[in-house]
Amino acid sequence: MRELAYYEAKFEALDEIMAADQRVHLINGTFLSLSPHRQVFHNLQKKYGDRMMMPPISELGFCGLATGAAMAGLRPIVDLSTGSFIYEAWPQVANEAANAYSMSGGQTRVPVVFHLFHGLRGGGAAQHSGSPQAMLWNCPGLEIAIPSSPRDVKGLLKTAVASDNPTIFVDHTKLLDLRGEVPENDKPIPFGVADIKRAGSDVTLIATSYTVQVCLRAAEKLAKEKINVEVVDPRTLVPFDLAAILSSIEKTRRVVIADETHQSCGVAAEIAARIAETGFDKLKTRIRRVSTMDVPVSYSPPLEEYIGPSESRIIDAIRASVA
Amino acid sequence: MPAKKDDSTELIDLLRRMWLIRAFEEKVSALYAAREIQGLVHLGIGQEATAVGTSSQLKPDDYVFGGHRSHGHAIAKGADINRLMAEIAGRATGYCAGKGGSMHIAAKECGFITATGVVGGTIPLALGAAFAAKERRKGQLAMVFFGDGAGQAGPFHESLNIASLWKLPVIFVCENNGYAEFTPLSAHTKIERLAQHAKTYGIPNSTVDGNDLFAVRQAARKAVEQARAGKGPIFIECLTHRMRGHYEGDPAKYRELSQLAEWKKKDPLARAAKVLKARKLIADKEIESIEGEARALVEKAAAFALASPWPAPAEVDSHVTA
Amino acid sequence: MLPKLPRDGLLELCRRMFLIRHFEESLVPLHDKGVFGGHYHLYIGQEATGVPAISCLKPDDYLFTTHRNHGHLLARGAEPKRLLAEILGRVDGLNKGKGGSFHSVAPSLGFLHSSGVVAGIIPLSTGTAYASKALKNGRVTVCLFGDGSLEEGAAPEAFNLASLNKLPVLFLCENNGKYGAGRAVAAGQSSSMAAYPLTDLPKAYKIPAQQIDGIDAGLVHATVSEAVEKIRGGDGPQFIEAQTVRWPGSETNWPSVPHPTDSSLAWDVSAVAEKAREWYHSCDPLLVFVRELVEAKQATKDEIAAIERQVKTEIAAAVEFAVASPYPKPEEAERNFFA
Repeated sequence: MRELAYYEAKFEALDEIMAADQRVHLINGTFLSLSPHRQVFHNLQKKYGDRMMMPPISELGFCGLATGAAMAGLRPIVDLSTGSFIYEAWPQVANEAANAYSMSGGQTRVPVVFHLFHGLRGGGAAQHSGSPQAMLWNCPGLEIAIPSSPRDVKGLLKTAVASDNPTIFVDHTKLLDLRGEVPENDKPIPFGVADIKRAGSDVTLIATSYTVQVCLRAAEKLAKEKINVEVVDPRTLVPFDLAAILSSIEKTRRVVIADETHQSCGVAAEIAARIAETGFDKLKTRIRRVSTMDVPVSYSPPLEEYIGPSESRIIDAIRASVA
Repeated sequence: MPAKKDDSTELIDLLRRMWLIRAFEEKVSALYAAREIQGLVHLGIGQEATAVGTSSQLKPDDYVFGGHRSHGHAIAKGADINRLMAEIAGRATGYCAGKGGSMHIAAKECGFITATGVVGGTIPLALGAAFAAKERRKGQLAMVFFGDGAGQAGPFHESLNIASLWKLPVIFVCENNGYAEFTPLSAHTKIERLAQHAKTYGIPNSTVDGNDLFAVRQAARKAVEQARAGKGPIFIECLTHRMRGHYEGDPAKYRELSQLAEWKKKDPLARAAKVLKARKLIADKEIESIEGEARALVEKAAAFALASPWPAPAEVDSHVTA
Repeated sequence: MLPKLPRDGLLELCRRMFLIRHFEESLVPLHDKGVFGGHYHLYIGQEATGVPAISCLKPDDYLFTTHRNHGHLLARGAEPKRLLAEILGRVDGLNKGKGGSFHSVAPSLGFLHSSGVVAGIIPLSTGTAYASKALKNGRVTVCLFGDGSLEEGAAPEAFNLASLNKLPVLFLCENNGKYGAGRAVAAGQSSSMAAYPLTDLPKAYKIPAQQIDGIDAGLVHATVSEAVEKIRGGDGPQFIEAQTVRWPGSETNWPSVPHPTDSSLAWDVSAVAEKAREWYHSCDPLLVFVRELVEAKQATKDEIAAIERQVKTEIAAAVEFAVASPYPKPEEAERNFFA
């Protein structure tokens, strides 16, 4: 099977999406953040420039524009670039886009995608390292997709655009150069279907986004200690595939959840709660979370490294769960 | 044209300060290229006259707020370049103990309250400081720096409105360098001069050559007088240019080389020196020694920063809440 | 002045204005008796802006409105009984009871969304305009909002986007903050907006903007139809500020009716309490319109009274329908929030 870089798979998806549906418009960013691979974006501009709009620095304004355009028959994809910038657009995302379908009793659909890069990026400091997906999970009405591999980003982006619901597409800059298998003529990946990224038998390790890759490395190391870790990637937070997680826990009896959102009310917190409510009897030991600490993200590299869900913290948690 | 009754010591000091900023920024650039500094840095090379001309009129207890391109603003306000360099390098000896980095400078002791990585993010904050200053009735004021990119952001407008309604002692300084990140202003708005927005909200405003230290200083002097007299906010738009890319590492392919060449001719340091020379306040030798001193100080700052320890991991738990 | 329309056109505008007036007045006793809760906002005193303005639009044009939306929906032709049911939170409401007063929609009439957040709809309107332009379907978007919206950062951001991209949107600002006895008094400077006149705000973005008397149905009709034509022709956005005098019934925390409307008030306000008398005498756009119709011999007093009687019957039936409509089943709260 052919191998693509994550950013190549993402742009292959964008190209196919734009070609297939004239209603798709791209708004704001390059979908690459500061990645040097600008060529793929310029290629897209050459082909679809008239459907790519570069607004001024007005997140509130252009996220509202995208939402309104979605109400009126387009299927826009907004790139907010740095995830923290969604806070500038919060009223339009949380008050308008998330609520419109429900408030109208099912009449007004909002098929908009808000794409953003979340997480610890290396020197981003407090205002460029946000992971808003936990807060957005607390806004009913929004779907949330969060890929971790080239195959997933392509498949999930297609489903996000096809969905009639407002969707948050949570990406990570540290994934962009990752290489992985992407079949030719791949199919869109449905929302609400988790993926076992590594089969195992001793511990269920749940993670999303870039943390999945960190977990895979941790699992490789632990394999040498004869600890066989199963890495489960939910791929979407809304809808959420709890069944896949429960069936993994049925096998392993132990669970560790690793995530880059902050600990309090974070993604790991919600997953832990759901497991505790429905899979408590399956567990041999308590649930363990490895989240970004509840502190504003410091700039200095050793501090940023310390607070995140690092490989060493994950390994410690797994060792503790099998002890 | 400089005012006639200037103190020559003061003017030479302003040149010294501009050189300090220039030398500092060039050193940061070199350290970044050598990977001694990480993350994002945005340099203000070419915008020194704006920082120094305005800050020269402020008192130590006046509040200053900046943006992502604020090393120069902090230095102009009197920040210690050793602690500033250490902060940008993420060291424990930095102003923010390594927690803020380049975009989040805070040097409270000299009145530089905070910078921000969010475009226009500190404009409402400056309003608040001005509000507090007004309550205190000691003639304090607030000054906030932002670029032309902030003019299209909602909070900018909300702030102009409130400052005008409540007659707050805040000086809005817009460094219009013609680019918001990677696109020219014309792609962001049909307005050419952001001072126009100030006019809409009834705020006295002016547009000046931001590379002319004396013009900036003059405009700032008037603004400060008015604000301290309780007459409300003022808006100063400084037309200038950043000689580097938006951030270090930005190849700036969106900018014509000819444009860069044009602006090089208007270099604020060279122009200020020329004026001082013409008025026989300074000679070439002195200018050279000013540059030399600045670079020497910056070298010391860099050495201090790089020799400083990293913050201890346990520090993440400090300063989360008071 | 009267709009340049044939007699039946004028009478239809008259009917819709009465419809709005009596609909809105019917809500007050219902609320005070506890038949519905939550806050609500009445369009009384602005009928001569909404009705003629919206009559200029084509069936597939988009409209966005705010918490003060009842008048706009009725002007556009929404069924009073279904709007009332929605305000009462009943299952037969426009939104099946899920939206309430603030969020009533009627997509088939072009109302995709109403927001209760001040200025919430302004960026959205640039979106439908953007879509219409991209899809080349010739649709115009009208964004209806009040003067307070201009204080929100969302408004200048939207004006900038609309201007930069030449979007086909009409920003129709209903400034009901005009205080004063006579219509000759223009709206004064707001204590919460430093810009004055308000038209300076869109003009900063080179959006053509004008101020008009919102009580003059003919002027509203002429100005809006001209603006809409220009927008449809590809000229880009336009801004109109229509000024009205705030209805005295809004002065209290909760709406109250100073005097039930009757067409006879157009000629004799002596029965109205002194505090509100001047408003009904010179600032009530509905009564002004009625007077002008009669003066221009487009209708007799009797004909107008007959129209009003018919409207009152319709409203009474709407109230009966809405009150009889059941509440949605509680489980409905968990359904229909994803497509």
